[in-house]
Amino acid sequence: MLFAQILVNGVMLGGLYGLMALGMALVWGVLNIVNLAHGAFVMLGGYCVYFLFTGLHLDPFAALPIAMVVMFVVGYLLQRYLLNLIIRSSHLNTLLITFGLDVVLTYLAQLAFSADFRAINPTYAGSNVTLLGVTIPLVRFGAFLTALVLAAALWVMLERTRLGHSIRATSQNLIAARLYGVDPAQLYAVTFGLGAALAGAAGGLYGMVSQVTPYIGATLTAKSFVITIMGGLDNPFGIILGGLFIGIAEALAAIYIGPTFTDAISFGLLVLILVARPARSLRGA
Amino acid sequence: MSNPLLTISGLRAGYGAAPVLFGLDLKINEGEIVALVGSNGAGKTTLLRAISRMIAAEGSINFAGKELMPLTPEQVFATGLVQVPEGRQLFARMTVEENLRMGALLRRDPEGVVRSFARMYELFPILAERRRQMAGSLSGGEQQMCALARGLMAEPKLLMVDEMSLGLAPVVVDQLLVVLSDIRKAGVTILLVEQDVFAAFSVADRGYVIETGHIVREGTVAELERDSDLRKAYLGVA
Ligand SMILES: Nc1ncnc2c1ncn2[C@@H]1O[C@H](COP(=O)(O)OP(=O)(O)O)[C@@H](O)[C@H]1O
Ligand SMILES: [Mg+2]
Repeated sequence: MLFAQILVNGVMLGGLYGLMALGMALVWGVLNIVNLAHGAFVMLGGYCVYFLFTGLHLDPFAALPIAMVVMFVVGYLLQRYLLNLIIRSSHLNTLLITFGLDVVLTYLAQLAFSADFRAINPTYAGSNVTLLGVTIPLVRFGAFLTALVLAAALWVMLERTRLGHSIRATSQNLIAARLYGVDPAQLYAVTFGLGAALAGAAGGLYGMVSQVTPYIGATLTAKSFVITIMGGLDNPFGIILGGLFIGIAEALAAIYIGPTFTDAISFGLLVLILVARPARSLRGA
Repeated sequence: MSNPLLTISGLRAGYGAAPVLFGLDLKINEGEIVALVGSNGAGKTTLLRAISRMIAAEGSINFAGKELMPLTPEQVFATGLVQVPEGRQLFARMTVEENLRMGALLRRDPEGVVRSFARMYELFPILAERRRQMAGSLSGGEQQMCALARGLMAEPKLLMVDEMSLGLAPVVVDQLLVVLSDIRKAGVTILLVEQDVFAAFSVADRGYVIETGHIVREGTVAELERDSDLRKAYLGVA
């Protein structure tokens, strides 16, 4: 296969990964919660778009905003009535709770939706666009553009709006934010809802370029984690670049090592990061 | 000049089991600059934290006719009681302009906010030059100006300023004291918390002296300056 073609495939997938990781990074940076249920939110968003498409015959891209609203509400309520109770406690507690949430959501999805593979295949699923001699499936191209647009929208929200300023201020200095009128319980719930909405959008796109099952969450959580560490909590562009990096690495691995090795890339990086980071912080001390 | 704006009575507060404030009484009238002075560790910052409802406390804090005890910090802020905290506590990775905008977070009068921005840049011209710079990259004096301006953007009724002079060159402190006098003339009441007694007394009308969680003296600045114990302990003169 043409090298440029592989690269483009990777970039298209990487945009989606970046969007997915943005949700995790937002929550991590502001609430200091590493949400292990993030991948499960992606999964739920995927089912949401799948059923809007098959049940109501909505175009899957048009179904994305609905899935985002649904996931926002799910995230908001979870934070407001469950996670806000433990947000001041240790990392171990929040990891345990979100891990438990992941297990529960996966199990419920299996009960409700069965373990079948679900793919979102609109009529134009087989169409391609050709750019500079490289063929791109239309759906992948659309998913990539959607991811970029949503990432840009998030950036504009954080930079330009009152809510965005409150979110950044709270992540930088919680005490000062409270002294200047931010209600953290409310802000945390909204932020967690936004993270879930981004996960939901990524899930819908994932269902279009791949397949949704109840079990995709864990792998996607791990990928989001790796990308977030690579991209940094404070930098949406870094996250998107991290997503592109993983996407390209997976596309190359699929061709040159074998398609079953794609997940090994991010898990390998995960292990490397976990080994390297404590070492770095020890040296810093 | 003698309408009480803030009336604190029997205020006790501390951290966990360790008490720090042992039943304080304090009153601030509308339009006053009141200095709260005392050495390091006396409980000044703890008092401000209790007033802003950031730590548990007992007693009564009445502000503009409203009891603050049951409120959260963000609700206290909304009543017009604004704290410029010790150590500035700026949003370091936000621009000067964004920091100032955070001060106006709850305001719903866009034109008034524009006027306040203009006023801040007039009071602190250096902030206008630096307005696109990250607050964390400013010098100490500029950071303190940014912190004061952020507080003023809220249009406070009462501004509580904690250790404004800490780590700043005397000329910068003098400059900031002039600004405080100016904004008092514009109708803002000020509680000035300082270890630097000279600086605080140079602009204040009245003062309180706090020692290990007790108010040990209060009076007009003229009275306090005549007190021989205080002269020895805080002003370093016999
Ligand atoms: N966050 C805290 N936790 C526990 N003790 C504290 C804390 N902050 C201050 N203290 C203690 O409370 C006392 C008063 O401190 P503080 O109010 O900061 O004094 P001041 O502002 O007058 O220098 C000191 O003994 C200090 O050690
Ligand atoms: Mg102090």
